[in-house]
Amino acid sequence: MNGTRRWVAMPVAALLLVCGVVAVQLTNGGGTYEPLRSADACAGRPVTSQADGIDGLVERLVLLAVDDAACQLGVGREELTLDIARSGDPTDAQVDALRDGLQSAVRQMEVDGSLPPASELLDEALDSADLNGLLETAIRAIPDSVLDSTLKTDDVLERAIDDLDVRDLLANLDDQRDLEAQVQDAVVEAVKDSLEARIRDLV
Amino acid sequence: MRRAVGPLLAVTVALVLADSAIVTLALPDILQHLDTSVGEVAWVLISFNLVLGVVAVPTAMIFSRSQPRWFSAAGIAVFAGSSSWCALADSIEMLIAARCLQALGGALALVGCLELLVARYGERRGVAAWITAGVVGTATAPVIGGLLTQAISWQAIFVVQVPFAALAVPAALSVRAVSTPAPDRHRPAVRANLTLALLSAALTAAMFLLVLLLVNGWGRSPATAAVTVSVVPVAALAARPIARLFRPPHEVEIAVGCFLVAGGLVALALPPSSHLAWTIAPQALVGLGLGLTVDQLTSKAMDMRLPRAQHAAWTIGARHLGIVVGLIILTPVFTADLKDAQEPAQQAVTSLVLDAPLDPQDKIELAKGLGRVLTEQKGQVPELHGAFAGLETDPDDRPAVDQLERDLNSQVERAASVAFRDSFLIGAGLAFLALVTLVPLRRRRTS
Repeated sequence: MNGTRRWVAMPVAALLLVCGVVAVQLTNGGGTYEPLRSADACAGRPVTSQADGIDGLVERLVLLAVDDAACQLGVGREELTLDIARSGDPTDAQVDALRDGLQSAVRQMEVDGSLPPASELLDEALDSADLNGLLETAIRAIPDSVLDSTLKTDDVLERAIDDLDVRDLLANLDDQRDLEAQVQDAVVEAVKDSLEARIRDLV
Repeated sequence: MRRAVGPLLAVTVALVLADSAIVTLALPDILQHLDTSVGEVAWVLISFNLVLGVVAVPTAMIFSRSQPRWFSAAGIAVFAGSSSWCALADSIEMLIAARCLQALGGALALVGCLELLVARYGERRGVAAWITAGVVGTATAPVIGGLLTQAISWQAIFVVQVPFAALAVPAALSVRAVSTPAPDRHRPAVRANLTLALLSAALTAAMFLLVLLLVNGWGRSPATAAVTVSVVPVAALAARPIARLFRPPHEVEIAVGCFLVAGGLVALALPPSSHLAWTIAPQALVGLGLGLTVDQLTSKAMDMRLPRAQHAAWTIGARHLGIVVGLIILTPVFTADLKDAQEPAQQAVTSLVLDAPLDPQDKIELAKGLGRVLTEQKGQVPELHGAFAGLETDPDDRPAVDQLERDLNSQVERAASVAFRDSFLIGAGLAFLALVTLVPLRRRRTS
């Protein structure tokens, strides 16, 4: 091996080796191996639920509401969720944004036709409601068409959301029983209000 | 017995130099067992290297006025005794104190063993044996430490050193070496020692950070991590035969070695996934760099310089203070980056849980469990399995739950990889700085 080659060969080989290894790492995603980034909460995303009935409906409403609230507050959906979970005492702005988000979610689901008619939710609601047997049988006997024309799901939900104490609801996230009781009270009140409003309109 | 004297002294040199990094893979176990913090546990490494780096040169100065065999035997005995003390330590403060004493004994042993090896094998072979033992000890330390921690316990790392060191005491006493005053005194080789210090800092980044990434970041066992990082010593051993193919001048060989270490660290900063295979080629670069540089630089710093023991001590000082500088720079950087990585990781985890194809009730239960795990993480990478272990789900949902656990762990691994990125790049910067020190300075012309 001559003098020049002794000086040059090894550095060139090392350069090729290092560039090759770094290039292989980069072309296989080495520069972008990072945690999932939060999506833009304002961009809107399809929401789905594995659950049926009321649970599924509530989950979809909450997911849409959190997106909407995060967008309104100018933060990511995950950031808002973590912030509420960590603090345990949401700010007024967060509470208002969540309430607005829930209302907006109802309207969005009504527009895209994904809000189920009241008759689809009735059986499940009656199963969990503590009504006397006669009243429950009477309600179950109402034909679906009559029920759906009398009780509009979006109207009931919007009234229930207005009635809900969102701050209290967030404080009860750890206690499933309290949470369900609170939601149930709000829904029963909303059904009553909706029916009264319907009767007033008819009169 | 006479035949075993040389190898026992060489093993002692390897053990002392291995001790600078041997506990790296045991740090997570020590952290847990002694109930301490990441910042404190780093001092198990820092204290040893700091004391060894600081006392090496003064030790060599005292050595010139003492009997080499008594001096060496005393050092080895202190090293063995303090290794036992390390194994028995029941608090982090005690372990750090024992490590300081271990380093002090180690410094005496290293300086003494050099003279004894020269007395035993002659100047050339003795120095070569001393340097080679040091490189082998440094390169293999994390592997041995990891395997012992996994197979037995972190205390085993210190216990296994005791019999070797105990046998080396009579071996040292059996060598008839006389202390002769050096006929000449040379200045320390500043540039070679500076390069050695910077390169040691960079190599610390490679070994210390890589094992932490593998064990704490990617959740691998110490044994798996030990086997994985064995690529470095294997590549270091292959470096010399490869260099012979090119027959480059020494300066070129050292420069190429620095460049390979820097390149390997850049590649380690950019893993495409947490698959261990992605660390092999970068580690091979680091190992080749180590094999081309450390022995060459040590030889260069000692070559034809007297007193030999003092120049050897300068290399020990440079190497170990370099490691301390590396640890002091890198520990706060990666602990801060690990803290900064928590928020993106928690957001990614939240996102996946919110969108998981699970029953809402399961999601709420899981979120509660994850909340507990993440609250308890205390600046460390969280172990998410605890949140899944207590989850009672429908058997039909089990595949989705398992998939979610894998996805969440993947997010944590991604966050950990990002957290280590800056530290690896700083390590690469230190290796490039070592390369810069090799650039010849233009001499002022005299008219």
